[in-house]
Amino acid sequence: MIETHESGLREALARVTAEGTYSACLAAHHALEKLREAGTVPTMRLGVLRNFTIEPLLPVLDAEAARDGSLPVTYLGDFDAIAADALDSTGPLARFHPSVIVLALWLTPLAPRLVERFPSLSADEVQAEVTRVVTYVRDMLAGLRRWTRAPILLNNFPLPPRRALGILDAQREESQTEAALGLNRALRQLATDAGSTFIVDYMSVFAAVGSAEGLDARNWAHRRSPLGRPVLLPLGQEYARYFRALRGGARKCVVVDCDNTLWGGIVGEDGPDGIRIGDGPGATHTSLQRELLNLHDRGVLIALCSKNNEEDVLEVLRTHPDMLLRESHVACHRINWDDKASNLQAIAQTLNIGLDSVVFVDDSVFECGLVRDRLPDVVVVELTSAGSDDYGSQLARRGLFDSLVSSTEDAQRTSHFKAEVTRRELQSTAGSLEDFLRGLEMVAEVGEAHDEVIARIAQLTQKTNQFNLTTRRYTEADIRRFAGAGSSAVLYLRLRDAVADLGLVGVAIVTTAGRIADVDTFLLSCRALGRGVEAVLLDEVRRCAEARGCTTLRGRYVPTPKNAQVAEFFPSAGFAIEAAGPTPSFVAELTTLPCPTSPIAVVRIPSPRSEPHDHI
Amino acid sequence: MTTSESALKQVLADVFGVDASTITDDASVDSVEKWDSLNHLNLVLALEERFNVSLTEEQIIEMLNYPLVKAVLKEHGVDFA
Repeated sequence: MIETHESGLREALARVTAEGTYSACLAAHHALEKLREAGTVPTMRLGVLRNFTIEPLLPVLDAEAARDGSLPVTYLGDFDAIAADALDSTGPLARFHPSVIVLALWLTPLAPRLVERFPSLSADEVQAEVTRVVTYVRDMLAGLRRWTRAPILLNNFPLPPRRALGILDAQREESQTEAALGLNRALRQLATDAGSTFIVDYMSVFAAVGSAEGLDARNWAHRRSPLGRPVLLPLGQEYARYFRALRGGARKCVVVDCDNTLWGGIVGEDGPDGIRIGDGPGATHTSLQRELLNLHDRGVLIALCSKNNEEDVLEVLRTHPDMLLRESHVACHRINWDDKASNLQAIAQTLNIGLDSVVFVDDSVFECGLVRDRLPDVVVVELTSAGSDDYGSQLARRGLFDSLVSSTEDAQRTSHFKAEVTRRELQSTAGSLEDFLRGLEMVAEVGEAHDEVIARIAQLTQKTNQFNLTTRRYTEADIRRFAGAGSSAVLYLRLRDAVADLGLVGVAIVTTAGRIADVDTFLLSCRALGRGVEAVLLDEVRRCAEARGCTTLRGRYVPTPKNAQVAEFFPSAGFAIEAAGPTPSFVAELTTLPCPTSPIAVVRIPSPRSEPHDHI
Repeated sequence: MTTSESALKQVLADVFGVDASTITDDASVDSVEKWDSLNHLNLVLALEERFNVSLTEEQIIEMLNYPLVKAVLKEHGVDFA
């Protein structure tokens, strides 16, 4: 029975992808409902609070979340009864245990005069209305934060489709548009203050669709349902970008074809002078290169995969005057005559990332079909010259690389990975692994979390999938709490070697209770695997526990589809099993843990809270 | 615009989560389990999308069964072959 429902869902989702219609989303919504009724356990618990009829959007949220691989179940709060759920720590929403909360607000019911009777308000009254709305939202967020740490998705407000003052509005400082913009700025500040709260940018989505199209005045008047049909799918897709980022599903690498993708024409036939890039006939290819550079600056890895002679492609990268993408932007390339699925696997292996972190971009129906078929984890962007979207927009529009945290380390990522490629080349010519690791001259810098590293630490907890014992996702606010509390500590590890500075690559969070120290989180970025760094970090955990008067260290392994490689981590580090089961726990007496002999030199950075002179 | 009835039946099937073969002239607010007020709103949105029409509030209120849905669409020039 479940198999039937699963294939029903697959069919419906295929229709959502192919047709992009509201009807297909409704079909997917019903298919999901049948799967849940048959007993399939949801993987995402969505709590929706709203002051308007949001029901028409829910099937799209269902379909888009499912298209992203989640199985959602939704709790919908009563119409315009947000406080009843937000302020009640034992209310129906709290009992539902949401993993994500959507706080969906429409401005008209909150401040009708601001929307409908703007010219009747004085400047002071406008300000008072804005303040009232902000206070209300702050109260709701504070109420939620009293009982839940689930991420909250709070929308901002679309600009009014019609300005009551007409063209005068744009001439005044105290205008309807300025009031909406000011309100949206205040919401962003509230979101930052509430922690793990993110603004869903209705303003931009409605602007892209057209704010008049996005608003259904008829359904607003009769059903308090303001969302126009043209905005339903774009809005659902926008929410899905947040769902994906929150579950750590952002893609890390884009693999690009060359001929008729990076440039027009075929370099092997037309020659470097005959290919099309730049304005005019090559504009769409240049738009793709521009988008690739933007992704590169955001820390996404760029790889090339092309059926060509390697020298031909490299010559274009190095010497063609109109190329924007250069060799320095490319983390690795496979330019040969092998099939692209095998090349993608090789690229993922070289860069030490999973195929589910990879996006493949090609203009060839055949290559795209082959990759979809052989490597279902890879997202395929099949470029088309039909329609008005250029190649750059086709890559950008799905938000595949979206992240809710940014840090400067992201932007350095390509240079790390390029160094990794160099290291692997060293490895293949060097002798034993031991010799190789020693030759890297690694230095680990370890310390307790402080302000400059908290963003990166939170990002690692959100993005790290493979070497992650418990896969607990934390926000910056969470990390601050752990770091500030007396009964917990956040340790970080930075690594550099003879080739490059790899940055902050390791995090451990320890909580203590009496003589027992628990390893809440223990993770390493994939760029630091295979170097023995984990032994150094575990030794730091041991020291930290010892310094806090503990005698026993306890760890837990929480299996996920991605972290099988660490299943044996604690036993192999000298821990004994404490309790078996689906999430086994392990213990070790601190005194029995071996001191690691490691090819890594360790530099301990004193905690910023202690006096700098304590450190010698 | 001339279209086939199966296209219309598919829209109702998507909206109400049933097989298109169960949509007959007898299908109505009373006989289709999921034809409630919220799915009625979804029906309006799906019909407007599929047949590129804009329904009036009066039409929305009156189309309480399958023949009436067809009749409303006919008023907008959608003919069923």
